[in-house]
Amino acid sequence: MSLRNDAVDYWSDLTRAEQGVTGSIVLFAAVLLFGLVTGGLNPTYFLFLVGLAGMYALMSLGLNSQWGFSGLINFSVAAFFGIGAYGAALMTSDSSPLLGGFDPIFGLVVALSVAAVMAVLIGVPTLRLRADYLAIASLGLAEVVRLLVLNERQWTNGSGGVRGIPRFFDNWPVLSTFPEAMPGLEIVIIPGSPIELGTPFYQMVLNISLVVAFVAASYLVLRRAHRSPWGRVLRTIRSDEDLARALGKNTYSFKMQSFVLGSVIMALAGVFYAHLNLFVSPGDLNPITTFYVWVAVILGGSGSNRGALFGGVVVVTIREGTRFLNEFAWIPFDTAPLRLLLIGVLIVLIMKFRPQGLLPPQRELIWPDAIAGSETEPERHTNQRPGGDANE
Amino acid sequence: MSVLELVANGLIFSSILVLGSIGLSLIYSIANFANFAHGDTMTVGAYSALVTFGAVGGLGGSVLGLPYGFFVALLVGAAAAAVVAIVTEKIIYESLDIGSIGLLITSIGIAFIYRGIIQIRFGADFTRFDIGALRPIEWLVPYGVRVTLHDVAIVISAAVLVGGLHVLLQYTDLGRKMRAMADNPDLARISGIRTKRVTLWTWIIGAGLAGAGGVFLGLFNQLAPRMGFNLLLLIFAAVILGGIGSVYGAMLGGFLIGMISQLTPVLKMVGIPIGIEYANAIAFVIMVVVLLVRPNGIAGEAT
Repeated sequence: MSLRNDAVDYWSDLTRAEQGVTGSIVLFAAVLLFGLVTGGLNPTYFLFLVGLAGMYALMSLGLNSQWGFSGLINFSVAAFFGIGAYGAALMTSDSSPLLGGFDPIFGLVVALSVAAVMAVLIGVPTLRLRADYLAIASLGLAEVVRLLVLNERQWTNGSGGVRGIPRFFDNWPVLSTFPEAMPGLEIVIIPGSPIELGTPFYQMVLNISLVVAFVAASYLVLRRAHRSPWGRVLRTIRSDEDLARALGKNTYSFKMQSFVLGSVIMALAGVFYAHLNLFVSPGDLNPITTFYVWVAVILGGSGSNRGALFGGVVVVTIREGTRFLNEFAWIPFDTAPLRLLLIGVLIVLIMKFRPQGLLPPQRELIWPDAIAGSETEPERHTNQRPGGDANE
Repeated sequence: MSVLELVANGLIFSSILVLGSIGLSLIYSIANFANFAHGDTMTVGAYSALVTFGAVGGLGGSVLGLPYGFFVALLVGAAAAAVVAIVTEKIIYESLDIGSIGLLITSIGIAFIYRGIIQIRFGADFTRFDIGALRPIEWLVPYGVRVTLHDVAIVISAAVLVGGLHVLLQYTDLGRKMRAMADNPDLARISGIRTKRVTLWTWIIGAGLAGAGGVFLGLFNQLAPRMGFNLLLLIFAAVILGGIGSVYGAMLGGFLIGMISQLTPVLKMVGIPIGIEYANAIAFVIMVVVLLVRPNGIAGEAT
C-alpha cells in the first residue's frame, strides 16, 4: 500500500505541466513498445533512433547551458556539432586526409579540445555584443566554419566527406568482439513477424550505452553546475547583466566559460555522431540542425536541463516521424517540407502560448538540502506555484 | 573574367541586395527585432510572380527584353509579399509580448512556415521564369563585359524603387513619420503619430521591396525555396554594415556587400589565395568586424 501511496503522492506533487509531460511520455513509450512487439518497428532501427535522440539531447543540454543559463543566443550549434564530428572523424578514420588512424578516445579528446579552442576564438569577438547581434554574428561565423569544411579539400576531403570511421569500441578488449560473440536471437511474439536480434543490434546496443553515458555525464555535470554559485552568477547575468557587473562579477569571463562549456558538449554530440554514422559530410553542418536544437530547448523550457532532454526526444520524433509519412500514398508530396512547416508552427505556437517552455525550471534550481532540511515542508509550496517560473 | 565585368555583376547583385536590406533595416528599427523571415519574404514574392507570370503570359510587347507581363508579375510579387507580411504581423507578431529576442525566435518559425508551404506547393527543385535567356549586349562585349538587357532592367528597376522610397521618406507625411519613429518610437508617439499605422506601412514597404528583390533574384539566378534564406545573412551583413535603422545606410551597405561578394575573384588576381567560394564568408567576417568596431554601422552616428 505504501508504494501505491508514494506513487500517488509523487503524482500529486507534480505540476500540471509535469503531469502532462509524464502522461505523454508514458503514452509515447506504449506506442513504441507496441511497435516493437508487433514487429512494426525494427529493434535495431529503434535503437538508432534512441541514439539520435541522445545526440539531440546532448546538443540541447549544450545550448541550454548557453542560452538557458546565461542568455547567450548562440546560432552556431551546427558548427560545433560539425567540429566535434569532423575532429573525431579526421583523427580516427583510416581514409582521413589529415592524420587519421588514432584511437577513438584520442579522437574524442582532440575533437573536444579543438571545439573548446574554436569556442574561445568565436567567443572573444562575439560575446561582448548585444543579444540580437550575437545571434546574427554567430550564425555568420557558423557559416564560415561550414564553408571552410566544405572547401578546404586537402584537410577535410570537401563535399566527399570522410568515410572509414571506426566504431568507438573497436580497440577495447571485450567490447570490440561483443556484437559478434552474442548469440543471434529470434523472438516470436506475434506469429509471422519475428523480432530478430543479430550482430547489428548488439552493435547498436554498444552505441546506445555510449550516448547514454555521454548524456548522463553531461546532465549530472550541468545540473551540479547550474545549482552551484557559478550557475547562480550565470542566472543573474541572464536576467540582468548590469546587476551582475555591479556585484563585481566579471560577466564577460563567466559568459565565456558558459559558452565554452556548452560548445564542448555540442562537440561531444558530434563525436558520438561520427562513430554512430561512420560517415561525416559538410551537410552535417547545415544550419537547420541549429534550429532543431533551438526548438528542443525552447520547447523543453529555457534553463531547464530535463526540459532539454525532453525537447531533444521530441525533435527527433518530429524529424524521423515525418519520414514515415512518406509511406502513406495519399500524401501527394514529399514530406521533407512538411517537417519544416511543422517545426515552424511548433516554434510559433510555443512562443505564442507558452514562451517559458513546457518544463520551466522550478525545483531544479533549489539546492535539495535546503528543502529537506526545513521542517515545514516548503516543497509543496515551491511546487504548487501556479505557472511559476523560478528563474524569471 | 575582367574586372569590369565583375563590377557589372556586383552592380546587379547589389541592386537585389539593396532591395532586401532596406526592408530589413526598416523593420529592424521600427518593429524593433531582427526579422529572420525577411529572406523568405523575398522567396514569397518571387514565387507569387512566377505564378502570376505563368497566368498572364507576356501581354504582347516588351521593354528591355522583358515582356509586359513580367512587370505585372513583379507588382503582384511585391504586393503578395506585402500582404503576407501584413497578415503575419496582424496574426502573430502583434499579439506577442515577449521582447525582441522572443520575436526573433518567432520569426525563425515564420520563415520555416513560409518556406515549408512554398516547398510543398512547388517542390525543392530550381525553376525559372519562362523568359528566354538573352545574348549579352553586343557593344559591351569588346570591353569584356557580358551583361544582358535583363540585368540592365534589374538595375534600372531597383534604382526606380529606391528613388521612389527616397521621395517617400523625404517629401511625404508618411516618410517623415517613419523617420521620426525609426529615430525614437516613444517620442514619435507622444508627438501624436499613430505609431501602429506607421508600423503597418513599414511592413508593407519593407516586405514589398523584399518581394521585388526576390523577383529580381529569380530573374538573375533562378528560383528555389531556399533562395531567400540563403541570401538572408548577406542582407544582415549589409544592414549591419550600413547601420541598423538607417535606410540610406542599408542602401550603402547593400551596395558594398554586393560589390565585395562579386569582386572576390579580384583577390586571386592580386595574389591572395581566397577563391570565389569564400565570397559569403568574407561578407560575414566583415559583418562581425563592423559589429565589433562600429556597431552603429558606417552611416550611423558613432556613439
